[in-house]
Amino acid sequence: SPNPPLSCSPSPMRGPLLAAAGGAMGGAGGPLARTIRAKLTAALQPTHLEVRDDSSRHGGPPGAETHFGVLVVSGRFSGLPLLQRHRLVHEALRAELDGPLHALQVIARTPQQWQSAPCAPPPPPCLGGSKRDRRRG
Amino acid sequence: GSREAVERLVREHPVVVFMKGSPAQPLCGFSNAVVQILRLHGVEDYRAHDVLQDPDLRQGIKNYSNWPTIPQVYLNGEFVGGCDILLQMHQNGDLVEELKKLGIRSALLDAEKDEEKK
Repeated sequence: SPNPPLSCSPSPMRGPLLAAAGGAMGGAGGPLARTIRAKLTAALQPTHLEVRDDSSRHGGPPGAETHFGVLVVSGRFSGLPLLQRHRLVHEALRAELDGPLHALQVIARTPQQWQSAPCAPPPPPCLGGSKRDRRRG
Repeated sequence: GSREAVERLVREHPVVVFMKGSPAQPLCGFSNAVVQILRLHGVEDYRAHDVLQDPDLRQGIKNYSNWPTIPQVYLNGEFVGGCDILLQMHQNGDLVEELKKLGIRSALLDAEKDEEKK
């Protein structure tokens, strides 16, 4: 794998599932998590990447793979405003966003930004949504 | 949900939000985060559209901005981003600046002034 090993410092993105599975970047998580990881790696060559399945925070069972959070640290973001960084992430995951991926939290930093502040805000708490609502987005 | 209809909506007020639920009762954590951030800045006068009430609008706004998720925030008719971006703009001071360009004085500036007086 071209990615460096996970740092040992506590990560805000490290959800209970990934932590329990050892947090290995290569294989933990369900099929969608692995797809997200692979596509973001190919598109953005991140120096640091974390993918978290938040589905259980939104009423789904653990491992439902409907709501994800990604933290992407990449030199590709240099000079780009936040909107363009997020669009790059969305573009890499276009098929997934057209399909099973219901919600996506994105944190996109340059390597310099991440080095000076390796932390990120936690996701907002779920308010229940409209439970009968099965549509994406 | 047509492009023209969405265009009219995003231009009807300096601050327009497309969300799930309403500012009084957000139905999604991400939409609620947007409402709370605006409230912190003292922005209570804005247009909020509940996409759960209008499936055509829900799809129309995503097509318009080429952005796959809700909530969506528009300042002066321009798409700014969703909850993640608004939160970062809030944290790094950009939101105060953007509101100033719209002629809106963020309540946080007054909070800072109060702090300086103490």
